[in-house]
Amino acid sequence: MTNCIETINLSHKFASDETALNAVSLQVNEGSIYGFLGPNGAGKTTTLKLILGLLKKQHGEIFVFEKPFTQNRVEILQKIGSLIESPSLYGHLNALDNLRILQKLYQCSKNRIAEVLDLVDLTKTGNKKTSDFSLGMKQRLSIAIALLHNPKLLILDEPTNGLDPNGILEIRELLKKLNKFNGITILVSSHLLSEIEKLVSHIGIINHGNLLFQGTLAELFDKQQQSSFIRFQTSDNNKALQIFESIEVQTKLFSNNITIPIIQKEKIARINEQLVLNKIDVYEIQTVKNDLEQIFFDVISE
Amino acid sequence: MKFINSFQSEWLKKKRSLASWLVIVGAFFTPTIVLLVRLKNHQALPKLNVAEDFWMKLWFTSWESMTILLLPMGIILATGLIAQIEYKNNAWKQLHTTPQSYTTIFLAKFFVILVMIFEVFVLFNLGFLLSAYIPSIVFSDVPFPTAPIPYLLILETNVKFFVECLPILALQYLLSLHYKNFLVPIGAGFIIWALGIGMVSWQYSYFFPYMQATVDFLVSSDNLKREIPINLQLLSCVYFVIITIVSYILYATKNEKG
Repeated sequence: MTNCIETINLSHKFASDETALNAVSLQVNEGSIYGFLGPNGAGKTTTLKLILGLLKKQHGEIFVFEKPFTQNRVEILQKIGSLIESPSLYGHLNALDNLRILQKLYQCSKNRIAEVLDLVDLTKTGNKKTSDFSLGMKQRLSIAIALLHNPKLLILDEPTNGLDPNGILEIRELLKKLNKFNGITILVSSHLLSEIEKLVSHIGIINHGNLLFQGTLAELFDKQQQSSFIRFQTSDNNKALQIFESIEVQTKLFSNNITIPIIQKEKIARINEQLVLNKIDVYEIQTVKNDLEQIFFDVISE
Repeated sequence: MKFINSFQSEWLKKKRSLASWLVIVGAFFTPTIVLLVRLKNHQALPKLNVAEDFWMKLWFTSWESMTILLLPMGIILATGLIAQIEYKNNAWKQLHTTPQSYTTIFLAKFFVILVMIFEVFVLFNLGFLLSAYIPSIVFSDVPFPTAPIPYLLILETNVKFFVECLPILALQYLLSLHYKNFLVPIGAGFIIWALGIGMVSWQYSYFFPYMQATVDFLVSSDNLKREIPINLQLLSCVYFVIITIVSYILYATKNEKG
């Protein structure tokens, strides 16, 4: 599968000498929806700005559509729609004029203006200045601008910021549709996994400028599975540990609890039987399954 | 084709903006004042309107405040306002992710301001003609000017002052692109202009970047007795080209573009 975006060892420092990015190698496959996750200040926007040429590259390589970005900037930008940080709208103009400005530059059909306004449900804003729009309306218009020229790649930095739950759902469905029916590759950043886990096919997790995880959503689920465990609370942990050892089960003693990897429930019953037979009281047996959000926090705190 | 698209896009941005109103107000301000004064003193007009040098006198009266105050101030404000459209709306990042070269972006915006100044000149000339003719329409005893309109002089003066205000445009554009805070280019422009006015009687004041049009006007209207040994339009063009090149280099090599 070809990479729509590929960065190789992308590093960046700001004037304060603080490392904003440290050797980030991102790979966004063509046709995928790539969720770029990380807490605020992790380096998401810096990465996206570098990919779009808004920041001068200091170290590393950036390829978009398999071409070096710097040498092919204009050609590449013709195929990208983007929304970085807060909406960039001309407040003294209405939605139509804002789109006309971009339509002139992309030289796309004038009909697209009505189409994208319809797509984001902003057809009835008339002569209202965009400075009088609600944040949600501004965000939707920004998405319309990003979609105006039928881009092959959408780069969206926290696109659901300021949207109500219904708005978030609508944008999510819209992005899914664009990906599925128009084949648009989407790179979307967020600081909340729960917000994009229902949308993305691939995930990259960044923190303190380091890319900590990159893979498919399924691979992240595997990681979740691996981090789940069973917790035993007994009256005599030392004696219990000897029993676990005798039946060759890996254990960890943590906060007066014994934890073991996930095993079949029949095997749990046998272990419980053994413990009781050895006169150990079993107070609690609990399967602990980390949700994706917990995995995200585990990854960024590693 | 690409540049025209970019220019059209930039032109759209100033719709309903303060900058577009400034063009109209700036262009008609002096002719309106001149007209009001002429209407107030209409008793004197029958004699003045038939004078041989009617057009020359009216022309230089109209240009006085333009070259000294309104044109420099207007360019300082308009240039700042045009660049501020991007800063105020947080739109540089949007503009820099559109498929245009940095040169195109730089020049498209620059040409919008140039065309706006051209608009000011056209409207000012229209205002000048209206200020000459309206009193004759309003008052039956005021005859229409009898002397032929000195088209050549009007054209020549327009071209001269247009060229001579280009250094102001170039330096203000540099400052306005570079500083996010609107007050910096406006304040700096005002200080440079005030310094120039302060040293206008100095022998070499015509070398001061914002003073070419002012000195030229004062010398042409005999308000300043001075020999100017060099071509002021050529000097203005040299300033304009140098400052524009520096401005472009600073803009194109900026580390952060949004």
